[in-house]
Amino acid sequence: MTLSLTIPDILVARAKAGDLEALEALYRAFETPVYNLARRICRTSEDAEDVLQETFLEVVKSIKTYRGEGHLWGWVRRIAASKAFMRLRHEKLRVTDELHDETAGGPPASVGTRIDLERAFAHLSETSRSVVWLHDVEGFTHEEIAEQMGKTVSFSKSQLARAHARLRGLLLVEPEVS
Amino acid sequence: MMHCTMDDLLALRDGEASVWARRHVEECAACRAELDGLYQRVAQLKALPALRPPRDRWGVVRDTIVAQRTQRRRRWAGYGLATAAAIVGLMVLGPMSGNIGIADELAQAKQQSAQLESTLQDYDPESRVMSGREAEITARLEDQIAQVDGRLADLDAQAAREAQLVDLWRQRVQLMEQLVQVRVTRARYVGL
Repeated sequence: MTLSLTIPDILVARAKAGDLEALEALYRAFETPVYNLARRICRTSEDAEDVLQETFLEVVKSIKTYRGEGHLWGWVRRIAASKAFMRLRHEKLRVTDELHDETAGGPPASVGTRIDLERAFAHLSETSRSVVWLHDVEGFTHEEIAEQMGKTVSFSKSQLARAHARLRGLLLVEPEVS
Repeated sequence: MMHCTMDDLLALRDGEASVWARRHVEECAACRAELDGLYQRVAQLKALPALRPPRDRWGVVRDTIVAQRTQRRRRWAGYGLATAAAIVGLMVLGPMSGNIGIADELAQAKQQSAQLESTLQDYDPESRVMSGREAEITARLEDQIAQVDGRLADLDAQAAREAQLVDLWRQRVQLMEQLVQVRVTRARYVGL
């Protein structure tokens, strides 16, 4: 999803001053991209909704520290990713992540059926989904992902390769068996 | 014949591939097709429709903001009351000749408390990004400080014994030190 959100400086200034109308305008501008990012990472839509709410409360609390360097969306999405990872950690999903990856790795539908990208993506583990989405779609660097996940850069890179190999396998058109 | 791994393909895409991989992909049609497939997958991922929140959460967010602001105002009103109590305490206890030791301790604790308040202000607690855990610890410490302030205000009204006041002020200093520590740690970690 490519975003070209342009937020007027005056709106940011009013939000920094605590103006509720300005804060609502920011919320409306970012609610879909934040939810979309969270939903791609989190397991359920309820979790993604909670991440949306927590992200925006953090935005309200911290907007005074936003110096206007870089796009506001870049700043907001770092908070959103942080909140999404926090939620994953909070629910201890990482403990079962490997298991989830293995179980998700089986044929998602009948063998020989081509599945679409959305479903294939949903079959990846939380970690793989997070790395693919943040790196390839949102434009995070491996360094940023590693920092957010509390892992190394090589971990992020290997997860990305693993996830693409998995996606490739899931999307492959199996030859029809006659 | 050895082909490119997914690591090689991603490195090629990101312009970080080895000489071998760059040369190989020029010569190998299968690996070129894999690289094209990778580009296509990523383009398709970027083109996926945005998922929209099923419910409007702004009402909850707005109510939380308003509630937090109210709580913050009450807390700072509590700090103001405690400071006023400290000044009154100093004026009352200062001239007492028989309690010089305790009066000194009390004055020292209040001075430390004031310094910690000042340090805390330097870290501008209202404008920092906090993790959920940090926010929880901060909220707990602030609540405990508010409780101590409330007890101090009550004791002051009852002309309490100085020893009790000293004890409460020491508790306040300890809690403030912990709160400052949370802020300092966060500031160092995040660099804000």
